[in-house]
Amino acid sequence: MALSKIDVANMLTGATPVANGGTALTSGFVNGKDPRPSASPLIINGDAAVAQRGTSFTSVSSGSNFPVDRFEFYPTNLGAYTIIQEALTSGEAYNNGFRTALRIDTTTADASPASSDYAILRTKLEGQDLQLFKKGTSNAEKFTLAFWVKSNKTTTGQVNLFDIDNNRLVSGTYATSSANTWEKKVINFPADTTGAFDNDNALSLIVEFFLDGGSNFTSGTAPTAWEAQSNGDRNANNFAIGSSTDNDFAITGVQLEVGEFSSTTLPPFEHESFGNNLQRCQRYFYLNNTVSASMPFASGVVSGTTNSRAVMRHPQPMRAPPTMGRSGNADFKVFCGSTNVDSTNVAFYYPNNYQALLYVDVSSGLTNGQGVVIIDDGGGNAYIQGSAEL
Amino acid sequence: MIKTVKKLNLDGNFSNTYLLTLQNDKQLYVPKAEDNTDYQNILAWVAEGNTIAEAD
Repeated sequence: MALSKIDVANMLTGATPVANGGTALTSGFVNGKDPRPSASPLIINGDAAVAQRGTSFTSVSSGSNFPVDRFEFYPTNLGAYTIIQEALTSGEAYNNGFRTALRIDTTTADASPASSDYAILRTKLEGQDLQLFKKGTSNAEKFTLAFWVKSNKTTTGQVNLFDIDNNRLVSGTYATSSANTWEKKVINFPADTTGAFDNDNALSLIVEFFLDGGSNFTSGTAPTAWEAQSNGDRNANNFAIGSSTDNDFAITGVQLEVGEFSSTTLPPFEHESFGNNLQRCQRYFYLNNTVSASMPFASGVVSGTTNSRAVMRHPQPMRAPPTMGRSGNADFKVFCGSTNVDSTNVAFYYPNNYQALLYVDVSSGLTNGQGVVIIDDGGGNAYIQGSAEL
Repeated sequence: MIKTVKKLNLDGNFSNTYLLTLQNDKQLYVPKAEDNTDYQNILAWVAEGNTIAEAD
C-alpha cells in the first residue's frame, strides 16, 4: 500500500513515522522498540501447547504432575483432580489466539483441609534467565505477570512470586469475576532491591498459583511488597479449588514481563512456533515414545554375547544431567543382523546434558562386535524419557 | 517417595549413576549431578539416615 502521508516530524526525531495519518502505537512496539529486554518469553509453554507426558490425567491427588510441560500441579492430601490440556474452541482466550489451556477439575472434594494440606499450580524458572530483573540491585525492575483464567468460581485467587535463592515472597491477587468466562489478568509486582537471583541453571523463581491450602498457608496476609517468605502469607486469598466437585480452574497465555505494564500497555503474548516451544520444553523433559511398533531408539554395538551398548542422544542439551526412565524391560528388543532378541534388562549409565549410555541385556543370541539397533518389541509400548526439571 | 537407592557400576567402575526405586517400584536412573533434583532428593534421603546400597 502506498503511503499518502508521511509523518516527517516523527522521522526527524527518530520516532516511528505514522503512516497515512494513522494512530501511533501506545503499547507493544512503541516507537519501534520492543519493550522487552529479553529475546524469548520468560515463561516457557505459557500457551499450554506442549504436553509431552499426555493430555489427560485422572485421580491426581499427590506429587508432581505436569498436565502440560513446564506447569506442575502439586496437590498434597487435598482432594483429587482431573488435569488436562484443554482444546479451546471458543471464548475470549480463543478469540485472542489461544488454542490450548491447562485445566484442573476437582473430582474429590476436601472442603476442610488439614493445616498442612495444599494444592499448587506452578512454573519454575532458572536464575540465569532472570538476571534482566536486576533483582537485589538499586536498579531492580518491577515484574508484570499476565494470564487468561476461567473458573466456575467467582472469587479471588492469589499468585506468588517466590524467590527461592533468597527465600523471599511477593504476591498479587486476581478476581474471577464472571463464572465460566475467560478473563485476562495483568498483575504488577514491585521491584526488589534485596537478594539477587543466582546466575546459574538452578531454580531461582517460582510463579505459584496457590489454589487451595490449610491454615498453615492461609493464616497471614498476602504480601504486596517483597518480604521474607512466610508460609502463612502464601494463600491468604484462598481460591479453594478443592472445596467442591463443582470447581474447575483453567489458565493459558501466561507471560512474565520485565517492568510495569497495564492491560493497555502490556506487550502482546509471544506466540512461539510449536517447534521452538517444544525445544525449549525439552531442556527440562523429553519423552521418546513409540509412534509405531518396532520403532528404533538408538543404534550401537554388541559388547560380549549377552549385552549391547548404544548412545542415546537427548533431543536438546538439557538443563542438567537428566534422570533417565523407561517402560518395562520386555518392551524392548535388540535388532542384530537379521534377528530380534528380547531384552532382559534396559539400563542407563553416565547420563550427562547431551546423552546417556543405553545398555541392554539379553539372555543369548548376540555376536560380539556386531552393530545393533535398540527397538520397540513390536507391542508399541516402549518409551524412554529424560527429566531435568527444576 | 524413595524406597531404595543403589550405585550402578559398569565395567567395574562407578558409572556416575544411581538406580532409584520409588515406593511404587518405578525405577529411575539418576546421575550423580548436584543440579539434578532427583540427586538432590537422594542426598536429602541420605541425610535422613538412609543408606545407598553398593553396586552388585
